[in-house]
Amino acid sequence: MALLTLLITTTTTNAQTTGDIIAKKVSELQAKATKTKGIIELDSLAFDDVLAKPRNYSMVVLFTAISPEFQCVPCKNFDPEYRLVAAGWFRIPDKSQIFFGILDFKAGQSVFQKFNMNSAPSLLYFPVSDSPESSPSFDRYDFGKSGFQAESFANWVNARSGLKIDVQRPFDFVAFSLKIMGFSGTVGLAHFLFTRGGKVIRSKYLWAAVSLIRHPPYSMPSRDGRPGFIAPGFQNQFGLETQIVAITYAVLCGGAISLMSSIPRIESPSKQRLAVIIWMGVITVMYSVLILFFRAKNPSYPFRLLF
Amino acid sequence: MSTESSSTVARVLKPTILILIAIVAISSRLFSIIRFESVIHEFDPWFNYRTTQHLVKNGFYDFWNWFDEKSWYPLGRVVGGTVYPGIMVTSALIHNVLHFFNFPVDIRNVCVFLAPMFSGLTAFSAYLLTKELKDSSAGLLAAAFLGVAPGYISRSVAGSYDNEGIAIFLLVFTFYLWIKAVKTGSAFFGLLTALFYFYMVSAWGGYVFITNLLPLHAFTLLLMGRYSNRLYVSYSTFCAVGTLLSMQIPFVGFQPTRTSEHMAALGVFGLLQLYAFAELVRGYIPPKQFRALLKGGIVAVAVIASIGLTILSFSGVIAPFTGRFYSLYDTGYAKIHIPIIASVSEHQPTAWTSFFFDLQMLIFLFPAGVYLCFKELKDEHVFIILYSVFASYFAGVMVRLMLTLTPVVCVSAAIAYSTLLDTYLETSEHVLASTKPAIAAAATSAPVVIEATTSDSKATGKKTAAKAAAAAAAAAKSADAEAKTHAKSAASSEKKRFPIFNLDSRLLVILQLTWFLFMFAWHCTYVTSGSYSSPSIVLASRQQDGSQMIIDDFREAYYWLRKNTKEDAKVMSWWDYGYQMAGMANVTTLVDNNTWNNTHIATVGKAMSTSEEVSYKVLRQHDVDYVLILFGGVIGYSGDDINKFLWMIRIAEGVYPNDVKETNFFTPRGEYKVDHDATKTMRESLMYKMSYYRFAELYGSGNAVDHVRNARMPAEGPTLSVLEEAYTTENWLVRIYKVKDLDILGRDLKDSTAFDKGRVRKISSLKKK
Repeated sequence: MALLTLLITTTTTNAQTTGDIIAKKVSELQAKATKTKGIIELDSLAFDDVLAKPRNYSMVVLFTAISPEFQCVPCKNFDPEYRLVAAGWFRIPDKSQIFFGILDFKAGQSVFQKFNMNSAPSLLYFPVSDSPESSPSFDRYDFGKSGFQAESFANWVNARSGLKIDVQRPFDFVAFSLKIMGFSGTVGLAHFLFTRGGKVIRSKYLWAAVSLIRHPPYSMPSRDGRPGFIAPGFQNQFGLETQIVAITYAVLCGGAISLMSSIPRIESPSKQRLAVIIWMGVITVMYSVLILFFRAKNPSYPFRLLF
Repeated sequence: MSTESSSTVARVLKPTILILIAIVAISSRLFSIIRFESVIHEFDPWFNYRTTQHLVKNGFYDFWNWFDEKSWYPLGRVVGGTVYPGIMVTSALIHNVLHFFNFPVDIRNVCVFLAPMFSGLTAFSAYLLTKELKDSSAGLLAAAFLGVAPGYISRSVAGSYDNEGIAIFLLVFTFYLWIKAVKTGSAFFGLLTALFYFYMVSAWGGYVFITNLLPLHAFTLLLMGRYSNRLYVSYSTFCAVGTLLSMQIPFVGFQPTRTSEHMAALGVFGLLQLYAFAELVRGYIPPKQFRALLKGGIVAVAVIASIGLTILSFSGVIAPFTGRFYSLYDTGYAKIHIPIIASVSEHQPTAWTSFFFDLQMLIFLFPAGVYLCFKELKDEHVFIILYSVFASYFAGVMVRLMLTLTPVVCVSAAIAYSTLLDTYLETSEHVLASTKPAIAAAATSAPVVIEATTSDSKATGKKTAAKAAAAAAAAAKSADAEAKTHAKSAASSEKKRFPIFNLDSRLLVILQLTWFLFMFAWHCTYVTSGSYSSPSIVLASRQQDGSQMIIDDFREAYYWLRKNTKEDAKVMSWWDYGYQMAGMANVTTLVDNNTWNNTHIATVGKAMSTSEEVSYKVLRQHDVDYVLILFGGVIGYSGDDINKFLWMIRIAEGVYPNDVKETNFFTPRGEYKVDHDATKTMRESLMYKMSYYRFAELYGSGNAVDHVRNARMPAEGPTLSVLEEAYTTENWLVRIYKVKDLDILGRDLKDSTAFDKGRVRKISSLKKK
């Protein structure tokens, strides 16, 4: 009987101690997070410690590679968004339920290997886990589908944890004033164009702008390592490719315009002849180049002009 | 040049050329008929065809009140209230007229040939439109360009019986009438514009483009200080009559007064009334008082209007922009919020290759034409500039809107091309004769005189110039100002023009340009014949020996359904094939290409992407008798359902996030796999099972290869217990499965199937021993 009571007491004290440990950990984490704008910087050791089971809080960890030598552009782009969401942590009523951590590749290579992660940034959500035995379960945030916006990420966290994190963007005075300036500039330009009749061709700039809508990659190395500027496939295109094609069109269009309005202004017959030959040559060559580009995209295209 | 004889020749030549252009336009759209047969193409046309049949058979009122219980089972669809009836009514009318004159033409042939016939009319209206902008020779070029431009052909080949087929004609013709109305200021042309606008509203959802472009034109003219009574009369007539008429289409209903898309038209209408009123008041009171009144009036109106608009939009009387519309501004919008819109490939942004493919050399002549419009800049040129800017933007955002861009590209390229020809074909005597007095007149700096003399250089500019001169003489205030600006621009551009002196440089340019024209014609024919003339319900492929193989699996499957199922059989498939099944197989469908109910589509997506047990419940709940899928793995047809599967999952996840999770269909490395690496969820999904059921048997031991995804399939294929294979077409392109009834012994269907199979296996194993 005595033995039994002893056993019971030991187990309860055990439970109490684990409870105490967790409570202590939570308060530590909370203090840490409050200090560093809601974000807990992790390394391999801290990562294991924070995610040790059991735990009564959920954890969001951003696996990133922010150092310049990794050249991880999406990491840099997502970082401020992530911090925006983490700043929203302060506005949660119960701060002990969720924590936001960042694990840089430099500090936690072993963790990256453990999770078999070969790309950054990755964003994992670790839910509350009561028993130490339960298998490591986590949810991965899909950047491709949900995007890099803080709001959609906050929604994603909300769907998993049930905690509403509101994202408050600081008012961007620079962007706002730029927009105002851009708007007034456009209005002014339009006014200028319409009143003066203008010799500015708007459409060729438009072409370049239009193709930039998709936010394409600028250029990509091709298989043999040389920088490729024409995207393979009919429906893809790179930023550089867009610019090259836009320039080709601009030259062609400029050729057509000078053929119809500049050349009739040349007084001397021989100069005029020379100008006609030059412009016609430019148009023919550029048009051939354009068709050549098109053949590169669509190899079965049968027509050619010069080459 | 403008001698009597040449003008007579031109009078005969022009109609002849126009008729020839129409013939070319029609005949270049007939490739698919010559290669295949006179069939309706693709998806949406099948619905239009089915409703047209209904209209011809049962009459207009029955069509207007038609409730179609064979689609969107069990919801049904109010067809009369949810279609743009323009195209059906047009072909029914043609059909009835032909029958009245005892030409027994089948309605199918009317439908098949409707779009090519209208393309001839489109070419003609392009001629009229360009004639208003420059002259009739540019008009002829524009007609020829638009007749064969692949950007327009893509939507109007024979058999492509879709709204766009007649809508582009209506678009161009409405614009022509509008320009005519603005130019003449006649209420008659304003009324005609409104009538054709009504026809356009009845035919295509793209009418919103006109609804916004015409007010924008009027507004821009107002901003440029070009308000005139002509503008007032034409716009007021158009807006009042057009808005009232457009509300007669049930599908449009009260939208013109309620949605933000239509607000611009009404806003500009109100603005014009205020402006006209201010002009009227100005005539009666002294300028100083008028200025004070104007200031007060503007502030008051602005305040009232903004408060009113805010209240109306917040109280919900004016609906905010619809999602489809919003996705035009923010290209990422659809991807996140409305997967069903993003899933349609024609809603994707456009690559430069598409521009070249659809318009070839017109692309670089187009900005040159716009430049010429800037130089001229009369009211109608402002319209073309606005049209080109907006249409280019929309075409860049959405592949499908290339269609609205094509007419303006053709028109403005024709202006540029014909200016080039004018410059290099003009005979020198004529140029010298006309430039000398122009220079002389410029020295005298009398604007009206310049206007009169320079007009000689342009044969067709004569009329307007003469008019302007006459008006100036009559001392009408606005006309005088106009004449001044015209004279100024004419004087500056004509000041130092010389003829092209050398014959060789003339020849060089003309020959080269002609060669470009040849290339353009070849390109158009090549594109039309190669890319835009496939009916897509019948596929053609080349075999290794060069002979052509026709793959007719779709019709085979639909015909099987028509002949072998009960009349009220419900067939489930992904929405892409809904219209075709209804039209060809005459069965009841759950979802179709009219994607009005996202939840219902997501339900089908759920049934396709969940395991057999979950899916069976959905199937039973919806009384599904058959399931139809497309599978291209055998012949390498890439547009099959496994490739569309991700969209089904995505759309289903949007509505049933607990049952379907997209991440479960990706391997840990984030790949979409169907072979050995496929995830468990993938392998258990109904779509995967239906696609690869008995696929491995086709190839013998372990050699099964999916030719679309280049994947080596497992030797042991999936098993089905709640479905049984009903029919698979010749090339395995379409597979139809019958949904099993509940087990007669009350067992789980999985158990009963296993039981049946177990016995079979036992006997065979006994035999072996």
